Amino acid sequence: MTYDQARWTRDGVFEPLTVEKDSTEVEVESALPDDLTRDKLELPELSEPEVAGHYIRLSQMNYGVESGPYPLGSCTMKYNPPFTEDLAGLESAAVHPEREESVQGTLALMHGLQRHLEVIGGVDAVSLQPPAGAAGEYAGLLIARSYHESRGDERGEVVVPDTAHGTNFASAAMAGFSVVKVPSGDDGRVDLDALEAAVGEDTAAFMVTNPNTLGVFEREITEVAEVVHDAGGLMYYDGANLNALLGQARPGDMGFDVMHFNLHKTFATPHGGGGPGAGPVGVVEELAGYLPEPHVREDGDGGFELYRPEDSIGKVHGFHGNWLALVKAYAYIERLGEEGLCSASEMAVLNANYLAERIPFEVPYSPFHHEFVASAERDAAEVAKKMLDHGVHPPTTKWPEIVDEALMTEPTEVEGVDGLEVLAEAFHAAAEADDEDLAESPQRTTSRRIDQVKAAREPVLSWRDLDIEK
Amino acid sequence: MTESPYTPHSREDVEQMLGEVGVASVEELFDVPQELRYEGGFDVEAKSEKETVEHVSKLLEENDDVVEFVGGGHYSHYVPSVVDHLADRSEFLTSYTQYQPEVSQGFLQALFEYQSLLVELTGLEVANASVYDAASALGEAALMAARVESGSRVLVPDDLYRGRRSVLENYVEGAGLNVEGYPTERGNADVDALEELVDDDVVFVYLESPNRCGAVEERASEVGGLSDDVDAVFCVGSDPVALALLEPPAAVGADVVVDDASVLGVSAAYGMGCGFYVTREEYVRQVPGHLVGAAPDADGRRAYTLTLQTREQHIRRERATSNICTNQAWMALRAAIHASLLGPEGLVDLAERCVELPHDVASRFDEVDGVTAPAFDRYYFREFVAEVDGDAEKVAGDLLERGYVVGVDSGSRLRVCVTEVNEDEVDGLVDALEEVMG
Amino acid sequence: MNFEIPDELLYTTSHEWIDPDSGRVGITDYAQDELGDIVFVDLPGEGETVEAGEAFGVIESIKAVGDLYSPVDGEVEDVNADLEMQPEMVNTDPYGEGWMIQVEYEDVDGLLSAEEYEGEI
Repeated sequence: MTYDQARWTRDGVFEPLTVEKDSTEVEVESALPDDLTRDKLELPELSEPEVAGHYIRLSQMNYGVESGPYPLGSCTMKYNPPFTEDLAGLESAAVHPEREESVQGTLALMHGLQRHLEVIGGVDAVSLQPPAGAAGEYAGLLIARSYHESRGDERGEVVVPDTAHGTNFASAAMAGFSVVKVPSGDDGRVDLDALEAAVGEDTAAFMVTNPNTLGVFEREITEVAEVVHDAGGLMYYDGANLNALLGQARPGDMGFDVMHFNLHKTFATPHGGGGPGAGPVGVVEELAGYLPEPHVREDGDGGFELYRPEDSIGKVHGFHGNWLALVKAYAYIERLGEEGLCSASEMAVLNANYLAERIPFEVPYSPFHHEFVASAERDAAEVAKKMLDHGVHPPTTKWPEIVDEALMTEPTEVEGVDGLEVLAEAFHAAAEADDEDLAESPQRTTSRRIDQVKAAREPVLSWRDLDIEK
Repeated sequence: MTESPYTPHSREDVEQMLGEVGVASVEELFDVPQELRYEGGFDVEAKSEKETVEHVSKLLEENDDVVEFVGGGHYSHYVPSVVDHLADRSEFLTSYTQYQPEVSQGFLQALFEYQSLLVELTGLEVANASVYDAASALGEAALMAARVESGSRVLVPDDLYRGRRSVLENYVEGAGLNVEGYPTERGNADVDALEELVDDDVVFVYLESPNRCGAVEERASEVGGLSDDVDAVFCVGSDPVALALLEPPAAVGADVVVDDASVLGVSAAYGMGCGFYVTREEYVRQVPGHLVGAAPDADGRRAYTLTLQTREQHIRRERATSNICTNQAWMALRAAIHASLLGPEGLVDLAERCVELPHDVASRFDEVDGVTAPAFDRYYFREFVAEVDGDAEKVAGDLLERGYVVGVDSGSRLRVCVTEVNEDEVDGLVDALEEVMG
Repeated sequence: MNFEIPDELLYTTSHEWIDPDSGRVGITDYAQDELGDIVFVDLPGEGETVEAGEAFGVIESIKAVGDLYSPVDGEVEDVNADLEMQPEMVNTDPYGEGWMIQVEYEDVDGLLSAEEYEGEI
């Protein structure tokens, strides 16, 4: 497959107006007194056709899920059905967050989604408020802290495996915990002895995803939970990899006490160029009272209401979270139903296993599920750049570090045999390319390799920093 | 074979793939111990797209069709159709964080322009590519203050929206900071009282203009001065529409400006927002979240890329400036498109309208028996406070029965938000108020 | 790879060097190579005290970030301010223009000779 991405070298619209500071200056006059207002405002003044043309051209210089394979490991880049977008855009859904009694439909949808997630995760209560996975982790850890404190138990440590997501470390630190890292065993799983040595009376929680970031299922998760629980800690499930397990196993049944879901991964809400996502937090019965406020429940009269759980940690979002993502995830779950959701996981796992057979790189840890981590045995970042020229988005690179030059690959269920073949060809091309070829890649993309060193040494972060001659 | 409408596999494909992998069934690929296997269902039946659309639409139709005159920290303006048309382009909507900048130039440039817009509006130098909402932006700003200055006290106005304060308190607790309210007087900071409160242990002072009641702050630079005297970080909350009109926060000494950019580009979305974060250049390595920068590519052409990533969690782990990864990039894109459509004239005109409307509507409220509006003498933006004889909750409830939603500020005070979105409904609202108060 | 390891300097296992004559401190040729292109160095101010084995600053490349550990107890008497604008000097001349701080110190203890350090890497 050959590929050439659009390259508009002279956009012709924003550039001369903004970059060269030739923008329109508007004198500001106001009913407010002069000392409270600005004198002028300098921004580009454009017609609607000009604005439309500009952003269409920008969209043509961007790679999305429908542009081709997007096996970005750990991110679950699956197809986002457009009808969910229409539903999120319904006028009846566009309501103000201070409303409660008069938005029974909104609350019913939220309650329905809470119920779906409870069943899918095997947990007893879910709050939809955290606006992203990291926010879900953070909310979960605040819950853990409140839970321990309510028992007069000050616990200052969160334990994570060395393969954990960077957000786990950062969320723990933000919640005021220090982080204890446990080395993985030779099989890539949690090493029970190392875990036992790491946990103790200061352990607030152990955070892990399952299957883990290598795609490998923690078969001893029940034993892991026993070790953590015996030490008095809580088990935290990072939901990033839930797309591997729908209908096969549930975090709640594995001994987890707190978890988050990533609606933008597992439940197909679009990633939006970086967000919004949604990271609902789910808990077992004993922790339900700590959920963020407000929480939705049935009002006992056929309707729904908002209430403050009795020991609530307070709020992790100014209002109710990322509502548009909640609508889309709810619609996706209703559309697929049980059969479709389970099938999605099955095909995701089959795709990963099939693709791994077709590529020229070793996969040191297995059996893996919805994703695998191959070892490029040469600079994985360079391999990725070569893959770009073959019309695919490359895998996540150089992480987790326990695999040498990692290529973390998650094709998701949306690729068929043909799409996987395109991906396999890209892997082969990168494996076979000589060093010079790799260093010169990519050639066919909108921009060539970008000078990251210059970008970091001399940051240019807005129009004002651009050194452009008039 | 497959039960999902979004998987392309035929039965033959699956057989062939299983053969290649060397297993007899998909089931064999799951390395899950028998005792952990889930045998139950999910209690949700698959539906056709049509059925799903009908189901969800019907659910949402349960929302009462009423006219909203409520703000209180979440505002929206009329969003032109072309914003949806452009932002819904699949290449924007379905892409993720720009880890491969060479194929992500479009979104990166859009975010660079969003950052630039905020730089122009605030007068500060560095804007990030978004955080979740105004509340989390405020929390991040206080955490940044604790990294760059010493002290443990965080001062916020005592009338700060409760949700925003709760998020802030959660954010700073882990860093050992304490949030305290400082007195406000008729919707503005009580500068004399604040002067009494500040000491060297203050690390962060927050001021909102307009605040949650719509009041424009008149003594911002004095508050900034007090903050500066004790080497605290001075943070101003203000939104992109208000900033088109108001004096740039940099001019009153702001070190950080935060709030919600989703006043542009997004209809009311039950509080979903787009937190923006703009600060001084000297704090560039302390900024949370993604930053987009410009740099040349191998052919020497200008290109865009995420930069200064060593601040972020995937590299710096527990010492990152924030745990944020997924942000609100698509909302930032929408805000940028909307701002581009408005242009400087459109933005200023819209902001002007946000000054005139509450002023005019407050006068009409004031003519209603039992209502004093505005409740106190200030300049208002989008929103004003009305004092009613009796219980504001009761009045708001009675108005809701007549199809109008207003905010309740406290005991006898209503918050009323009026913009170009609902201005044509003002006559009805005033009539309803007369009935309710009569 | 052959890395430059001047004989007259002393080394830490965390890849810093100190010139016992001048008290200047920096990172080794090996360390700069491991980090790659240095984009930022955060250093203490003059007059601040440093402790042996404790972090005195932070160094960042594009993809990594690390602490700088002091080889000795002492007081910072000079700081290489040029690194703020030209952090790449740590890459191009780690033992010369890429020096970081100059420390007034009393004793050196537990540091490695050039030969010992070479054994470490």
